[in-house]
Amino acid sequence: MAKLGTKPGSNRKGRLVSDHGQEVRNSLSRADVLTTAMLAGAGVAAGGALLGGLADGAASQPSRKQDLEILNFALLLEELQSAFYADALQRGSLTGELRQFAEQVGAQEEEHADLVRQAPGDDVRELPAFDFGDATGDAKTFGRTARDLEDLGVAAYNTQAPNLTKDALGAAARIVSVEARHAAWIRDLLGENPAPFASEPRASAEEVTRALNRTGFLG
Amino acid sequence: MSDLTLTTLDRDGALLEPLAGLHGSTRAEFLSKAALGGATLLAAFAAPPDADAQSAKRDVAILNFALALEYLQDAFYSEVERLGGFSGELGRQARVVGAHERAHVEALRKVLGGRAISRGRYDFRGATEKPEAFTRTAVAFEDLAVAAYKGQAPYISDSGLLVAALGIHTVEARHAAWIRRLAGSSPAPNAFDEPRTGKSVLTLVARTNFTMKTGSRRSPRFTG
Repeated sequence: MAKLGTKPGSNRKGRLVSDHGQEVRNSLSRADVLTTAMLAGAGVAAGGALLGGLADGAASQPSRKQDLEILNFALLLEELQSAFYADALQRGSLTGELRQFAEQVGAQEEEHADLVRQAPGDDVRELPAFDFGDATGDAKTFGRTARDLEDLGVAAYNTQAPNLTKDALGAAARIVSVEARHAAWIRDLLGENPAPFASEPRASAEEVTRALNRTGFLG
Repeated sequence: MSDLTLTTLDRDGALLEPLAGLHGSTRAEFLSKAALGGATLLAAFAAPPDADAQSAKRDVAILNFALALEYLQDAFYSEVERLGGFSGELGRQARVVGAHERAHVEALRKVLGGRAISRGRYDFRGATEKPEAFTRTAVAFEDLAVAAYKGQAPYISDSGLLVAALGIHTVEARHAAWIRRLAGSSPAPNAFDEPRTGKSVLTLVARTNFTMKTGSRRSPRFTG
């Protein structure tokens, strides 16, 4: 796994064939480095409640009700990202293009959250108070965490998209490619391959929940 | 809306000719229908879901539309490599992205089997030789691919195919961000990426004049 400051080019081999499972595992194990917080029983419960009756896989029939479940899940991710960038900017640990990245991307995550929030209407679930700990304290940890959150966001949207009704899918598609742009941008800034696979890896709701809980950000 | 027909949109015929076969007509019949009716092919992108057979047919048309774009990109990046490539980061971008576009072509051809359209001939008019022209073209191709996949995704009926198309869609967005940063532009210029209709994508592709007329005697210095 490439580390921040790794010489550019050391992790830029293109992959012709992507092994989705492996990529997801990689992205999840990267999430492990974010924090030493272990998967705690309380964390699982919090995540479980947030994710509600979210369906997995592409087998379930799209419905308005299911849209709301998925959009609440998307809202959590957008709010988490938005708060993460705001926290990093507030702590003042970023300079140069990394700061520019946080400003521009943070503002876009806020716009995403605004759009996603409209859909669930009164059914919006209450979000936890986020706690980013040391993840926003220095540029290095911020960069890696941003990469993990953006990669995870893309995988989460892509995996849930087939479960959405066509209207909701259209809206989610306008967001997910922007998340992918964010992911590529921060990867490039870290000296990593911005597009490490020919086909985007997927992550089930359960895998995303587990990764989020491991970060400890959900309090 | 301007009264563009497919023949004016697709001046080269490279996109249109193979697709005519999908509609069970000869090229001449298809062209005349296209000229009369406007968008026979494009109707396939926009028709409301009906019978299963119609959905399956539309999925095939959409995948072939995607394949045409992937062929174009594959040819573009592969030609850069054949010409010796660019140095540094730009060369690396072309190699990595080229490998992806080839993988996309392979995947789409595999799914389509005998229904896959054939590869066109291209003349990139210097865009594969000069770094500045390459960069500009690559930004345009990648942003266009993102918008094209996004425009078609809601019309794909088969959930397996939808999953595959979405998996390519965001990889194209990563490519776009990467080359935009190299071009000195913002990798993510807008909070939302907007879709493009099939018709508008074909219009833009035709305007590049990169695809060669079938039967053209023009012989590009290099051809994808």
